[in-house]
Amino acid sequence: MALLALNDLTVTFDDFTAVDSVNFTIEPGETLGVVGESGSGKSVTALSIMRLIEMGTRAKIERGQAEFTMPDGSTIDLLKQNETTMRSIRGNQIAMIFQEPLTSLNPVYPVGEQIAESLRIHERLSRKAAMARARQMFDLVRIPEADKRIRQYPHEMSGGMRQRIMIAIALCCGPRLLIADEPTTALDVTIQAQILGLIKQLQVETGTAVMLITHDMGVIAEVADRVVVMNQSKVVEQGPVDQIFHSAKEPYTQGLISAVPRLGSMAGKDDPEAFHLAGSLQ
Amino acid sequence: MIALARSIGIRLGQAIGLLLAVVVIVFLMIQIAPGDAALYLAGEQGVGDAEFLAKIRADYGLDQPLLVQLGTYVGNVAQLDLGESTYFSQPVLGLILDRLVATALLAGAALLFSVTIGVALGVFTARRPESPASHGVTVMSLVGFATPVFWLALMFIVVFAAKWGILPVGGIEDVRYEGGWFGETIDMLQHLVLPAISLGIIYLAIYSRLARASMLEVLESDYIRTARAKGAHERVVVYKHALRNGIIPVVTAAGLQIGNLLSGALLVEFVFAWPGIGRLMITSIFRRDSPMVVGIVIFSAAMVIIANLLTDLVYRLIDPRIRVGGSR
Amino acid sequence: MTDLGIAIDPSVEAGGRGAFRMFLRNKAAVAGLVVFTFIVLVTIFGPPIYGVEAHKMAAGPFLGPGDDAGPLLGTDYLGRDILAGVITGGRTTLFVAAVAGAMAMGLGLVVGSLAGYFGGWIDALLMRFTEIFQAMPSLLFSLVLIYLMGPGTWKETLAIGLTLWALPARLTRAEFLRVREMEFVKASRAIGSSDLRIMTRTILPNAMPPLLVAATLLVVIAILFHAGLAFLGMVDINTISWGSIMGKNRGYTLTAWWTVAFPGIAIVITGLSIALVGDGLQDAFNPKLRGR
Repeated sequence: MALLALNDLTVTFDDFTAVDSVNFTIEPGETLGVVGESGSGKSVTALSIMRLIEMGTRAKIERGQAEFTMPDGSTIDLLKQNETTMRSIRGNQIAMIFQEPLTSLNPVYPVGEQIAESLRIHERLSRKAAMARARQMFDLVRIPEADKRIRQYPHEMSGGMRQRIMIAIALCCGPRLLIADEPTTALDVTIQAQILGLIKQLQVETGTAVMLITHDMGVIAEVADRVVVMNQSKVVEQGPVDQIFHSAKEPYTQGLISAVPRLGSMAGKDDPEAFHLAGSLQ
Repeated sequence: MIALARSIGIRLGQAIGLLLAVVVIVFLMIQIAPGDAALYLAGEQGVGDAEFLAKIRADYGLDQPLLVQLGTYVGNVAQLDLGESTYFSQPVLGLILDRLVATALLAGAALLFSVTIGVALGVFTARRPESPASHGVTVMSLVGFATPVFWLALMFIVVFAAKWGILPVGGIEDVRYEGGWFGETIDMLQHLVLPAISLGIIYLAIYSRLARASMLEVLESDYIRTARAKGAHERVVVYKHALRNGIIPVVTAAGLQIGNLLSGALLVEFVFAWPGIGRLMITSIFRRDSPMVVGIVIFSAAMVIIANLLTDLVYRLIDPRIRVGGSR
Repeated sequence: MTDLGIAIDPSVEAGGRGAFRMFLRNKAAVAGLVVFTFIVLVTIFGPPIYGVEAHKMAAGPFLGPGDDAGPLLGTDYLGRDILAGVITGGRTTLFVAAVAGAMAMGLGLVVGSLAGYFGGWIDALLMRFTEIFQAMPSLLFSLVLIYLMGPGTWKETLAIGLTLWALPARLTRAEFLRVREMEFVKASRAIGSSDLRIMTRTILPNAMPPLLVAATLLVVIAILFHAGLAFLGMVDINTISWGSIMGKNRGYTLTAWWTVAFPGIAIVITGLSIALVGDGLQDAFNPKLRGR
């Protein structure tokens, strides 16, 4: 059974349809790449799954279902849940990381506290226990000098380090779905590879499913199992990575693939290749 | 910690330098002013008397070269000697300090009132940007900006004190009242209500709009989305994550406005016969008590500078980004 | 030589026109402009038309507004017509506020543009100098200036102008710092324009929008300042202004509220109308709001 099944999801901003009748599924433990240009509706889709899209914006979820399988095997439609239920799901069952790691962290609280907050919300841990778990998360996301860094503020860290903090916040309650919205776009190229590698490795370690949103087919090639291609608010094509890269039907998808430079891990090859997990990530 | 202590030390040094500059400027202003400085210093004590003027010149060292005079003056101020009031024949500083509590009480109450209610209104309206209350805050802030504080004070007296008779017309205490310290405190607070609200409401109008704009901006920021994505309750999102960032501009403005607040307090003290420094300033001008007038200006500049230092400190406590490395 | 600043940066002119259209679409701002124009016309042409001399006894004392025996807005303790006072007093108040505001703006422009354009030690020196004046509570500072200079309309105007220049100075400096780094300024410098020319022809037009907004606010502040000083009785006692009417009648507030209420209402309406214009200008110049 699919972990998440989107059916006919449609979201509008006033007269503009930002997400138009979108269908796709995410299986437990898999990595689904959602690819498309900016403005194609990827982020709106993600925020709709979280039910964060209607907060403080003029967006409206018009119709559709988002069937999510709970740990006990039952399925619920996320789009029909009340705010209290959604709060218990956000950060706990479904977590999210964003594009801008600097602005996505609250500047006035130490990063350790921001990780601990999720644990205090969902696992009702004491301040002390939550901080101890937050300290462990630093090891999980491979941040050295955890005892010192746990007390630092976001502005005292580098971009890559901040994104690791965001990943720690997202993963600390053991979510079964991680939505990563352009997690590497704002980072330097070398850091991008590290963060992608980290996400991939943590996925293996924790078994969480990942919905990776990107505009970069190269990134998809490295980490995704399956791909959903979005263009102008619609899903234009989806399927396993190999199939999409070998025999994309849509001209739009072919365009995206041809835009990937044959460099780095794809240099000299036509096929995509999964990210190598062996070796140091630092 | 060392960096913090060092940056505070630097700010302290700058503050002292600034105060020194104020003293020099005020001294030069008196010198440049048309007319004989001795005449000003003589005040109303007998302007025509040449012998008296000569004595004043000798007393105040006005027969000395300008630089020597300046040095003496700055030296005296450094030793907390602001001269002697020609009207009271008492040290200026003591007379000011006698009235400091009343002014601090008035300004402090007005500040507290305007910042707390202003932030509360700002938060409330920022969460409902299209509500009538939200538009009301915008309109009220413009009206408040254009309203003379002394006129508002007089209108409050007409309505609350004269017409409804629920609050005292002026002064700081009812001299007929006899009772314990508790009763006297209540009596004093009753006298404080109208002056503090007259003064505070002008700033309330300004701060509520500022808080609204700031909270609106903060509530749209990425870290608010992160907090929601964690599953945080909306209450926590607003009061823990947004508020602490949203009040930073309000704190900055309140700190910068301290001088204006004291200016407003002067007018309010005048209207309500509130026995503070502002009222002393006005009566001293009418008495042509120059050492008093000059002393009050220097003293209030010192208060502004100290208030700015405190704001800086509060600012550092709220915003860790400027805790190290001084100003932004 | 063509003016490079304007030639290279077409957004200035286009922006100006777009802003003007934006402003006209803002109902509150247009209303403010209409009301303010009306007030100015009343203070200029009102006294001869109304025909009552403000400082002379017109009817019995303490006649309330609407009282059949007296003028529309009532009379004060000497039987002087309050409406005539409000009409005549507006002249002094608006004249002093306009001149003092312009003075402060001019002084602030000079200090701020020098500091912002040249930077370095000139900037440091001028800004320290500005700080000195900001440390003294503004009303106390103007009081001392008037105390030292003596009363008189021009001296009061000078005192208010000398008090309020720090605000536009800081703003001008910030704007000059911002615009100074733009490409068209570098281009202007590259073709050898003089400093003065770059400052006045290239940077200033681009720094104008926030300074215009500040100028409107400054006039409101100057009105309030003059009203406060006149209310305290620190100005020439023979000149009628909105503040002085309130100051003279202060002792009779409880018996004749209208003597104080109406001059104050005149100040609030005038100040509000100018503030609405300023607010409208701010929105009109804000590219984020344009096109809404």
